[in-house]
Amino acid sequence: MGVRAGHSGTIAALAAGLLTACALLWPAVGQTPPPPLPPQPPTVPLQPVPAPQIAPPTPVAPEVRAPEGPSLPREAVHADVSTRRIAVTSTFSGTGIIVFGAVDNSRQASAESGLYDVVIVISGAPSRLVARKKSNVGGLWINTSSTTFTSVPSYYAISSTRPLDEVASDDVLKSSGIGFDFVPMTFHRSARNLTADEIREWRDAVVRLKRRDRLYQQDEYGVAFVGRSLFRSAFDMPATVTVGAFETRVYLFRDGELLSTYTTKLDLEREGLEHFVHRFAFDHPFFYGVLTVLIAVGAGMLASYVFNRNKA
Amino acid sequence: MNIYLPIAEMSANLFLFIGMGASVGFLSGMFGVGGGFLMTPLLIFTGVPSAVAVGTEAAQIVASSVSGALAQYRRRNIDFKMGTILLTGGIVGSVFGVEAVKALRRAGQFDLFVIISYVTMLGVIGSLMMIESINALRQLKSGVAPASRQRGQHNWVHRLPFKMRFHRSKLYISALPPLVLGVFVGFLAAIMGVGGGFIMVPAMIYLLKVPTNVVVGTSLFQITFVTAATTILHATQNQTVDATLALLLIVGGVIGAQFGAIAGQRLRGEQLRFLLAGIVLLVALRLAWSLVVHPGELFSLTPLGRP
Repeated sequence: MGVRAGHSGTIAALAAGLLTACALLWPAVGQTPPPPLPPQPPTVPLQPVPAPQIAPPTPVAPEVRAPEGPSLPREAVHADVSTRRIAVTSTFSGTGIIVFGAVDNSRQASAESGLYDVVIVISGAPSRLVARKKSNVGGLWINTSSTTFTSVPSYYAISSTRPLDEVASDDVLKSSGIGFDFVPMTFHRSARNLTADEIREWRDAVVRLKRRDRLYQQDEYGVAFVGRSLFRSAFDMPATVTVGAFETRVYLFRDGELLSTYTTKLDLEREGLEHFVHRFAFDHPFFYGVLTVLIAVGAGMLASYVFNRNKA
Repeated sequence: MNIYLPIAEMSANLFLFIGMGASVGFLSGMFGVGGGFLMTPLLIFTGVPSAVAVGTEAAQIVASSVSGALAQYRRRNIDFKMGTILLTGGIVGSVFGVEAVKALRRAGQFDLFVIISYVTMLGVIGSLMMIESINALRQLKSGVAPASRQRGQHNWVHRLPFKMRFHRSKLYISALPPLVLGVFVGFLAAIMGVGGGFIMVPAMIYLLKVPTNVVVGTSLFQITFVTAATTILHATQNQTVDATLALLLIVGGVIGAQFGAIAGQRLRGEQLRFLLAGIVLLVALRLAWSLVVHPGELFSLTPLGRP
């Protein structure tokens, strides 16, 4: 709970702060023509400024946060995934996904300039789970404590151009839920008496175990620019991934500042016999049980028939 | 070739499970035992959640015992009156067992419970078998004929009320001991994923004095129906029956059992029992080890069903 609340609270604070900043800097923005250059140093000179006066007016995306020099159009990020719908069949052994995107109005000279940082987060449908901890009771290792999470992303993969601590400050990362420390998780209300240390221990355990199963993963240099504006990153999903709707969020940073975000979805669905078995088992458990018994009886009788005939 | 198991929610090699089914099937064919008590621990070692291992194994035992039960039926080796009493008790025990599994899973203690049950059961049975087979082997060497079992002696079983006549078994005994035995075996079937033949057969022979030729057929009759009921109960109450996994184990099991039966004919009974006792004790030790040794990771995650 606390995580979620803090999350939206920080966003609100950030937005309010930005609004105030806007109001102070540009009291008449959008009404009067841009005033003469303020006394501050002008925008950092970029080598080949893409002739801004010729560029068509770009619609200002609502996510764009920081006001820019009047002459330069704002950057925005767009992205897509290689496969929007992935079918999990009986032989599913994991899959790879490519996320690719572009920075509109990129101001960097080449792919190597490193002006921008891109962070891509793919998160799976939230699931409920119980975490348990063993301790030694009279020589035996026994589950002695547990806590329930009402929402934990079933899958969480981060890929970035650089290590996250170089991309942005913790506050910025936290507000966007980027990084293993800030994975959005909600505890069941029975966990409200936990201390901050205990909460951290449980969260860390979830992240550690999910990372062990490759359901949570991080690639600190996974995003590569392929040109001034084009970037791509590869992700892999292990076979144990939970099916459902996945959200891919792409964050564009410059100098630790979040410029733009873009969200796209992808779906992982069960298909084929696999899908049928799972649905049947949960939707009609009695008939599923009866059918399983019938299959077992049939298989047993078939086998004895086949082998007895061979003997005869 | 990997296959995704829909209920166990894990991906593993197709041939691993067929091979496991075949190996345990081979042993069960060779020793003439059900094999559930070996398969369930093996599935747990592979990483199948213990509740799914238990639920799925019940389905496999249905397949492996149904043909035997039919063969015994054709030879008229089933005491249906005794079998029905054992079966009634078995289903009652299974209902309690499945509820126990449900409660223990919710408390997060099912893994522990299964392992302790197995260590106890396999430890006791393995040790008894080991001692018995060593004695038999010694007697064989010294050439002393083993003492023949005394029949027709009356024990406490014969002083209980609700006496019934069991024509096929040529017995006039109380219905209570078979009923209680059935409940116990049904409970074991539900919580351990075993048929329970290894308890039921000796109990019927030594306690109830059922003639040996009727014992096997009657216990197979009971096991087939009790494990069928257990499968349906687990599927309904716990959603822990993986039909895909069960099918793989069945396919491996029926093939392995055929070869095991052939191999079993070439070995002497005492040697077979000694071997089986060794395997049982090894499995028990391996399970006990997993409780005692420090687990590398103290935490574990269990997904909760759909919200």
